[in-house]
Amino acid sequence: MSDSHSSSETVATLKLLLIGSSGTGKSSLLMRFVDGVFLAPDEISATIGVDFKVKVIDVEGKKYKLTIWDTAGQERFRTLTSSYYRGAQGVILVYDVSNRDSFNDLQTWFNELDTYCSSKEVVRMIVGNKVDKESSREVSRQEGQEFARKLQTLFVECSAKTKLGVQQAFDELVQQIIDTPSLWQKQAPTNVRLQPNAETAEYSGCAC
Amino acid sequence: MTDNLPSMTDADSCLSDSQLEVLKKQYIREGEYVTEQTRFNYSWGLIKSKNRREQTQGVLLLTDIYREVPDRRRECLFYLALGHFKLGNYNDARKFNEALLEYEPNNHQAHALRQEIEDRVAKEGYIGMAIVGGVAAVGTVILASLLKRR
Repeated sequence: MSDSHSSSETVATLKLLLIGSSGTGKSSLLMRFVDGVFLAPDEISATIGVDFKVKVIDVEGKKYKLTIWDTAGQERFRTLTSSYYRGAQGVILVYDVSNRDSFNDLQTWFNELDTYCSSKEVVRMIVGNKVDKESSREVSRQEGQEFARKLQTLFVECSAKTKLGVQQAFDELVQQIIDTPSLWQKQAPTNVRLQPNAETAEYSGCAC
Repeated sequence: MTDNLPSMTDADSCLSDSQLEVLKKQYIREGEYVTEQTRFNYSWGLIKSKNRREQTQGVLLLTDIYREVPDRRRECLFYLALGHFKLGNYNDARKFNEALLEYEPNNHQAHALRQEIEDRVAKEGYIGMAIVGGVAAVGTVILASLLKRR
């Protein structure tokens, strides 16, 4: 795959979503992939609600426009971010290999994904970010791999800082989407329901 | 076009009626004990609306949260800027967005929004100038014809 600045005659527009706990580096991954840069943690602000970037890529001579939605990891935005699952063809669940809590949170994120993204075809990928922090690693590669196998998702380890594995992660995800034509040729909407916060979970009604 | 306007793409994509209804119901149900999270969620849904009255309501709600909950300042500033922008109150939009940038000079979402605000103001300025220019041109013609008659 290679970059292209021309957005003319794209075969399809693919919607990708980045989710995962706060501080796992979702925005940095996106910035590395789209802009080819990495900013120090103090140069970057926590995402407010949602942000997105667009990138046109070439796959086997065809152009695909990727719209990549970068959601806030903070709990306070959880209800908001759930509305962005609609229409996504690929979802990347990000954790930080040097932070076990962010790995333990994956199950919660995965449950949410199952709730809001009912289509089983949507391509899911677990990404262990920050492998440059090898000395403070808290989650082994094997552990990540096993978890991804259990949840039947793709798995890549990478570093937005050194760019190791970043391109590969997006390439694999996009390739699998392209290999699943039913996902994008009809551009079928997936069902999305918006639910109140977990903190008020006794409210069971959902109108959507 | 929308490629360069991420925050507006988001702010302009409104929730479905039923989605907004979920947020509204929760807001009403919690009554006087309504949590700041519920208020925030509802105001966010309102700001994303296409309906001007709902947008205004969202801005009012957010203004209250902004005043009462310092912990919510950054997101309130950002969405207040977006809300005012959608309402066409560019000065207020600018004011809130610049306040956010003061706290977080590196916030790229706020930088992108600043660009959007300035672009819009410039664009509407051109339209305004074109109108003024047009009026001036007509005026000149009229004036010229009056002078001729003398």
